[in-house]
Amino acid sequence: MAKQTFKGRPLLPGDLEGEATVSKQPFNTTASYFDNMFAGVRDKAPCTDSDNPELFRKDIADCIMCTSQTIGSTFGGAAIMGVAEMGLGPRAMLFSRHIDSIISAGLFMEDIWNEKRIITIDLLGDEFLETVQTGDPIAIHADGTVEVG
Amino acid sequence: MKRREFVHTIGLVSASGVLLSCEGGTPSPGRAGTAASGAAQTGTSASGTGAAPDWVRSLRDSDMDGLGPDGKPDPNYNATRTGHARADVDPTQPYQMPLTQEEQDIMDGKKGDALAKVMKTVVAFGNAFGATKLVELGGAPHSSVFNAPPFMKSIIDVFSTCADEGLKSYAPFTVNPRPFDLYNVETLPDEMAMVFEGYPLQPELDYVLTRIGARGMNSRSCACYLSEIGNAPEPGTYVAWAESSAVNFGNSVLGVRTNRNAGGMELLCALIGKAPYFGLMTDEGRMATWLIDVRTTKEPDWGVLGAAIGIKVTEDVPFVAGVDKYFGGEVTKENMHKLKAMGSSTAANGAVGLYHVEGVTPDAKQKGRDLLVEGYQTYVVDDAELERIYSSYPNLWSRNDAKPSLCFIGCPHNTYHELLYWGELITEELKKRGQDKLKIPMHLFASIPVRNHLLDDHPVLFRDMKRAGMSFTNMCALMFTGLKGFGESHFPVTNSNKARKYSSARYFPDDILLEIVMTGEIPADA
Repeated sequence: MAKQTFKGRPLLPGDLEGEATVSKQPFNTTASYFDNMFAGVRDKAPCTDSDNPELFRKDIADCIMCTSQTIGSTFGGAAIMGVAEMGLGPRAMLFSRHIDSIISAGLFMEDIWNEKRIITIDLLGDEFLETVQTGDPIAIHADGTVEVG
Repeated sequence: MKRREFVHTIGLVSASGVLLSCEGGTPSPGRAGTAASGAAQTGTSASGTGAAPDWVRSLRDSDMDGLGPDGKPDPNYNATRTGHARADVDPTQPYQMPLTQEEQDIMDGKKGDALAKVMKTVVAFGNAFGATKLVELGGAPHSSVFNAPPFMKSIIDVFSTCADEGLKSYAPFTVNPRPFDLYNVETLPDEMAMVFEGYPLQPELDYVLTRIGARGMNSRSCACYLSEIGNAPEPGTYVAWAESSAVNFGNSVLGVRTNRNAGGMELLCALIGKAPYFGLMTDEGRMATWLIDVRTTKEPDWGVLGAAIGIKVTEDVPFVAGVDKYFGGEVTKENMHKLKAMGSSTAANGAVGLYHVEGVTPDAKQKGRDLLVEGYQTYVVDDAELERIYSSYPNLWSRNDAKPSLCFIGCPHNTYHELLYWGELITEELKKRGQDKLKIPMHLFASIPVRNHLLDDHPVLFRDMKRAGMSFTNMCALMFTGLKGFGESHFPVTNSNKARKYSSARYFPDDILLEIVMTGEIPADA
């Protein structure tokens, strides 16, 4: 596919290349990591959110998560910190809309307290999420630019 | 909006065993041991075996489920959980809020490494939401960091580090209710074992909360603002609270100013005594974008009214008109439960962090309809609309034809007057009917000071309530309904619309609940 470029707000900037993991519906952080959070699974991060058909049962460890916002329990921030501590958290979170207060708390805390940066960019726009598909090559730049394709 | 079949929290024994182990009960003969029955989506329940316990399913749900009325993901969902969608933010303009020299010095580490990290986190959060400054906090914090499954280790470590450097909250703070009750609910050895296995970090969490300034265990309650608990700052006070129902009540009824903080962020703000000034803390952010025109012919069901509002406005700020006549011009200890019920329901069915009630709540009394923005939308709520909402509630019991097996009251935690109301109502009705006991148990959720208030003022009534089959616990009602196996074996009824949203409990008005607990049957016309 032809490369398309989107510009967002780099809240936790960084450079990274990889493949996109896409959730067109809002990503339920807590629901997605049950096996890691509660069942001691440490070698992979199978998405446990059965209400998310795009991601359910896919291994989302180390992913570049592309979604609109996060939803679910206010444990969401703690959840992302928990899986990050296991080395299974996402490498980046790219939001088409404004980041929500729940995940932002966890991402900032992980970055500042545990010195583990999960690159975070929001406000990439609805067209970003409409365009990107799981598996697409994606390049993230520290200025908030995201290239898809 | 999609509903779960039932709520799970900690994996425990079957609900029949749980109920029988409640105060006054006896163990069920032949009840099996502690092994969880029924597999979760991904497997069995033991930690470390590669599968999450059934109970964790409850954590997937909250008021912010991103689903539309048809129960499917809403493509237009857009909620930052701060009261405003912030759709107008320019991503190309980096933002840094101005800091005082003192705040900058803290960021630069001049007051220690841990405090620097606290400041950096709070500032980063504020920058993301366009905060214009940090403001001094007053009153006392309220925290929703209250339960400690294994994944909470990272958060606990953060606050342990803070405690090790001597950091403390600017004021002693209250915390959400206990996630379990080993004295009145989980009293059997195998139930207790499951609690200890499910919350292995609980002592560590409770210790670190104590070290950074939490109040005693008796004050644990989601209704921290009740006089018996006393966390009720004056109107206009800036605070940093978490827990949706407390934020909702605090902003709306107390008139304090707080955003809806994620668990952990409220504690970080507490440690520096400051919070980012944005959203619901600002005059602009507290303006209403909806007029809720209540035109019911009688006093509305407050929980259903709250649900209607929450579903309609999601996280916007509503201005509610037409209900001031039910308050006599002010919120009192005797009538505050109405707004507690309505507000918690707006927060659970939507994500409302602040509402105004014309002629009743502090902001509305001060500013009236000047709180409405230009171009506000109007939502008319009449008898038919409430009936439509109420009638839409599905029966989520695992067996639709089952008989109700228990009633629980108190989500959020009961006030003294609610306990008194139910106590007098039930005991008098039993006398009228010549009955000694309720046909099904009734569990009343309240903080220990509130329960003790009832005991002190009405010891005979308290005794009679217990003899009638009513019990008291200070745990979280939602954690209670999430007990493993609860949904398979129990068919709960409740007066809490928040609990209805998060569990399999069926919601009924008080008069119908009375009939249910007296007869053990749901009236045909309910």
